[in-house]
Amino acid sequence: MTTVKVLDTQHPGKRRHPKKHNHYGFRDFFHFDPEQGTIVDWNESYNVLTTEDFIIGLVEGLEEEVGEASAATMYTIGCEWGQKDAFFFEKWFETEFERNIRQTNLMFLLETWWWPFTAQGWGRWEVDMGDRQQGFMFINIFDSAVARTLGDVGKPVCFLYAGLFAGFFTELVKKQLSCIEIQCYSMGETYCKFLLGGQDRIDAAAFWFKEGATARDIEKRLRAGEVLR
Amino acid sequence: MLSQFEHLRRETDGRYASDAELEFAIDYVRSFNLRVQTYLKLQEIEAALVQQTYLQMRALNPAWFVHGNTDVSAKWKRDTIRVLRYVAVAVLTHDPDTFRERMLLWFQTIMRAFGAQQSCSMTYQVLQDIIRQHLTAPQAELVCPLLEMSRRAFGAAS
Repeated sequence: MTTVKVLDTQHPGKRRHPKKHNHYGFRDFFHFDPEQGTIVDWNESYNVLTTEDFIIGLVEGLEEEVGEASAATMYTIGCEWGQKDAFFFEKWFETEFERNIRQTNLMFLLETWWWPFTAQGWGRWEVDMGDRQQGFMFINIFDSAVARTLGDVGKPVCFLYAGLFAGFFTELVKKQLSCIEIQCYSMGETYCKFLLGGQDRIDAAAFWFKEGATARDIEKRLRAGEVLR
Repeated sequence: MLSQFEHLRRETDGRYASDAELEFAIDYVRSFNLRVQTYLKLQEIEAALVQQTYLQMRALNPAWFVHGNTDVSAKWKRDTIRVLRYVAVAVLTHDPDTFRERMLLWFQTIMRAFGAQQSCSMTYQVLQDIIRQHLTAPQAELVCPLLEMSRRAFGAAS
């Protein structure tokens, strides 16, 4: 006879305080189960702790396998992750706040989306929606896990983040969006900066960036309405 | 306090702590009675503190309690009570680090998302003034630095 053990994956802290919203402290957010050997977070996702060596291995291993295509590969992985996470987020947000995501203050919604990532070590963020009416916006990431690990290598490295933002926001606004990192901690800057918008704007920014434009130059050119001809 | 004990445990792994390293615990024991009294007092007068702060804030600017067409007074009260309760625990445990990690950093981003910095800055200023009227000076000295920390965090532009 086989015994099937049903695993209770619910976070015990959440079971006790299901309506608690400020649950992002390390001991609140993660539940370590030594018996099962699992780390389940507040939203019942399984987590794996990794070292910086793991990130280096991931980035350098991929580069070794696919060469220059590694950036696009990481971006695509990020996109798929972001799209899937948008559905996952919608589900847990509506359960936690008993409110549809479309009837929620946008900045509050976005902060709530990013908090689990902050708790998991992906860095703090800041969203600049000042140019949203023009069809683009900026996201700053402080302490990117990838850039912090790789250090100053003189080029942007956070393709996974760019993909994550593109994928998530595409699902959120139901419109195809792309994202590019226009400033990176790995270029010696103090934080990473991403531009999110339609493909035409991202292509223009990518072109200017390759030509040596700084994030500030790109911001100015976009705000001045410049596009590629 | 709990953070400090955690730090002590890590730092003194496999050895005895020095007198200097134990000083924080001795200070805590000395301040313990005052901390418990303050905690109990905050619990006792919580409703009055929040109501007085609310009335004073409303007199200063009623627009702080309207968001769009919605009266957010009840939400403001819930938020203020929540912060006050975390402050009370931080007073009892002498643990501003845990207060910061579990409450302050999260709430700061939420208040910014709603553009409530100005109202927050004033809330935690007025609350400090009112607390000084209700608590003894040594009690207020335990509470007000945490409220000032909150005022700076929630009230900062970005």
